[in-house]
Amino acid sequence: MKRSTFAAGIGSIVALAAAGAVALPGDTRNETRMELAADGTVNVNNGAGSVNVHSGTGRQVVVVYTTHSPNLEVDESSSPDRQRIEIRTHVLHEQKLSPEESRVEYDIAVPAGASVTVSTATAPITVEGLSGDVDLSSNTGEIVVRNIAKAHVHVRGIASSISLSNITRGHVEVTSTGGAVELSSVSGPLVSVGTASGNITYKGDCSGGGEYRLTTHSGAIDVTLPPTASVDLTARSVSGTVVNDFPLQEKSHVTFVPKAGSSFTGTSNSGSSSVELQSFNGRIRVKKQ
Amino acid sequence: MGEDEENNMNCKEFQEVLPYIIENGGNEEEEDHLRTCPACAELVQDLRYIATQAKLLLPMHDPSPRVWTGIEQSLHQESLLREGRTSLWGHVTSIPAPVKSWTPAGWVMAAVVLTAFSLVLVNYHPQLPPSASSAQNMSAQSIPLEGEDQQLMGRVSQQAPDVRRAYEDNLREVNAYITDARQAVERDPEDVVAREQLQDAYQQKQMLYEMATVRTLP
Repeated sequence: MKRSTFAAGIGSIVALAAAGAVALPGDTRNETRMELAADGTVNVNNGAGSVNVHSGTGRQVVVVYTTHSPNLEVDESSSPDRQRIEIRTHVLHEQKLSPEESRVEYDIAVPAGASVTVSTATAPITVEGLSGDVDLSSNTGEIVVRNIAKAHVHVRGIASSISLSNITRGHVEVTSTGGAVELSSVSGPLVSVGTASGNITYKGDCSGGGEYRLTTHSGAIDVTLPPTASVDLTARSVSGTVVNDFPLQEKSHVTFVPKAGSSFTGTSNSGSSSVELQSFNGRIRVKKQ
Repeated sequence: MGEDEENNMNCKEFQEVLPYIIENGGNEEEEDHLRTCPACAELVQDLRYIATQAKLLLPMHDPSPRVWTGIEQSLHQESLLREGRTSLWGHVTSIPAPVKSWTPAGWVMAAVVLTAFSLVLVNYHPQLPPSASSAQNMSAQSIPLEGEDQQLMGRVSQQAPDVRRAYEDNLREVNAYITDARQAVERDPEDVVAREQLQDAYQQKQMLYEMATVRTLP
């Protein structure tokens, strides 16, 4: 091959990649920009691959995605009033794709205040730095939510591990059947986590005078609180064990009779937040940070 | 997981058809699995051995019918045999057929075989993909899925194998949750925790159904 021909070939590939067209055989990278009205919603539905959502600038939603098969496409649509944007991975002609072919990697930047809904089968979901409401669900993909303030955060997983961190003044509801749930510095008027067999870990101060409720069937619940935490705490297990290593003051009035080893209750500081820990036969432990 | 793995039978699927395999032999796919899975091959070998030994427990020397008739007559004479039902023709029906009895040695062998069979089943650990297993999960996994749960599994049958597995395992887990919580409420209807647990358990199941429905819509 002559050098000039080779250089022209390379140049063409670079130009095509820059234009967002075919970059490598089998892989297609695309970029789309769509206007979203203030307080609009972005809905994303993807099977395998990954979905990363973060805050962007202006009023545009910027969607960058990579597909790995010509038998799969991404449908993007916007409602006429620009209140809603739909992004959906779609298999063409009911083709049977390999796991690698069915992957689509999304990177989505959304405007401030936009609400985001993401649903995946196996694709992990990462959401970071948003200021609107967030509704995430996955069958088995890991779900990570970071740095969100004053928003509703609803997360559902079947066998997904779920991690929430630095969420302030949130209305947080997490339901996980088998996956573990980790919360670090998560606070708000409502923090509710329920699992069937997944373990629940909470590290934070339960601040904000909110209602915190962690419930599991057979998973373990571990709560680590700083001495400054102001909580009214109750831990109860039907047939599991309950251990408390956090200094609590006895309450003057209780609604149930604590049973050593399977329940306890008490307050710390002014007891501004209500913390309710419940398990069926999983272990509950509360300790000091 | 590759496409080949997706198409191949796994230990769990093999286990479900095990009785048919022991009785009638397996098809090509089942035989393939048997060749490549030492654990299942060992199990089948053990079960076939037990089946062979069990046949030996049948009485080897069945008495002649005349012996049973003689015994019957003797019992009647001694008034030790209760009268049977009267037939339409007014005859008293006799014992319909000689009942095969086992010798003490047969009982001992039966006990040995049953013990061996139990040990094989208890020690059989199919080579399934790793999952968050615990004693609770193991008991949950033994609960069969029925009715609507089977329909749900049919709905997610086109999903990736690990997703199907996730639904199946977690349905069982949630069913165990519901069963435990319901029993706790029945034991003590005033138990607030048990009542809330039952509510949570049903919410878990509702979520499973919702997610399966959403993900399988066209």
